[in-house]
Amino acid sequence: MSKNSSHSELGPPSALERRVSTWRRTLGIVLALCSIAYGWAVITAPIDSMQGIIQKILYVHPPLAYGAYLGFVITGIAGMIFLGRGREDMDRLAIASAEVGVIFCTLMLITGPIWARGTWGVWWSWDARLTVTLLLWFVYLAYLLLRSFSGPSPRTARFAAIYGVLGLVLIPLNYYVIEIFGSRSMHPENLQGGSLGDGMGLPFLLGNITLGLAFLYLVFLRWEVESQRTAAGEGSSAR
Amino acid sequence: MNVALAILWKDLVSEWRARDRVVAMLIFSILMAVVFHFALPGSRPEELQALTPGLLWTAYIFAALLGLNRSLALELDNDALAGLALAPGNRGWIFLGKATANWILISLVQAITALIFAIFYGVDLVPALPGLALVVGLGTVGICAAGTLLATMAVRTGFREVLLPVLLLPALFPVLAGAVEGSLAAVQGGSIPFESLQLLIVVDGVYLVVAFLGFDYVLDE
Repeated sequence: MSKNSSHSELGPPSALERRVSTWRRTLGIVLALCSIAYGWAVITAPIDSMQGIIQKILYVHPPLAYGAYLGFVITGIAGMIFLGRGREDMDRLAIASAEVGVIFCTLMLITGPIWARGTWGVWWSWDARLTVTLLLWFVYLAYLLLRSFSGPSPRTARFAAIYGVLGLVLIPLNYYVIEIFGSRSMHPENLQGGSLGDGMGLPFLLGNITLGLAFLYLVFLRWEVESQRTAAGEGSSAR
Repeated sequence: MNVALAILWKDLVSEWRARDRVVAMLIFSILMAVVFHFALPGSRPEELQALTPGLLWTAYIFAALLGLNRSLALELDNDALAGLALAPGNRGWIFLGKATANWILISLVQAITALIFAIFYGVDLVPALPGLALVVGLGTVGICAAGTLLATMAVRTGFREVLLPVLLLPALFPVLAGAVEGSLAAVQGGSIPFESLQLLIVVDGVYLVVAFLGFDYVLDE
């Protein structure tokens, strides 16, 4: 698998990857502290008078969604930089953020139906946002499948980057479909409008911060692993 | 541009001589029509009329998967794909040639499939024909643009038959949404909603641009 990797002088780890590796350690400490505060805030948060205890999924579910979308956007952009500049470290970042994005998306798709069963009375509804997210989940599962079916090579990296860009394009396209056909939405549109009850704002905020940090930490960790694997001659992106 | 025409001509001539892709897609589509009969037992004619666009598009998409895979698998013989990659000029034109050939062949199969559905399910498609042809033509542009790009990738992995549907189907949701909505309006005798056409045109444009630019990297050896 080595004959096609001549275009890269950025041998692993690149300068950016070395820096990320130091940031990750600091990030780990901050994440541990935030997790404690987050856990405490969720436990002590008031129980919703209408939905009961199940409403506490709120502190997990939307932050997971943000992580999932962030992961997919990073995958697409990193893929574009890889294609444009030939930076192999960006290809390794794309792998990392796709995998972590899929994990976040999977967890979101698991917590969602549990919450839905408790409040809407059904496990699944073809709600606009649900449908789009499910489709994106398939796109990025396909992305990972493409990578694993093709084996590590520069060609695989290019194929994956193109598919990642296509996935990125699909996010607005799918929302455009929903916009046009006006599928009814069961998801609230007013989270920013201060619809959270008393005492629910802080745990929600902490949930977003903590899971956001967890997302970054996992991406950095996975990136580091991929960089070391490539350095050892068995990574996904070339060599 | 000449490259695109040359590839288009080559694909059409080779299909004319072999006639394997169109025949395979056609037999598959007819089989789908029979499968739907057994899958939906005892449906009343008016129910079938409402279902026909969805069933038709299901058959179209799966038949297209067969044809697209074959169209690129052909180029693996004698390493023809590597030869194409070495050809001078922008590789986007190679994509355009192959995608246009796919569009023509798939459209041909789609027209015959629609006729067979009309006969089997007793749906009168003649009044709907101009609108249906427009929607199907536009929808197929999206299928062929994304499909040709992804098939070029899929055929060079170890699991080509499995990978193309997995890669392509999630990307076809916007096409399917617009096409089924438009086809339904056509079959039910109304005018095609502007939103459907708008969506299909936008999706076609986006996929054509992504595939035209991306083909350079996909073919890169």
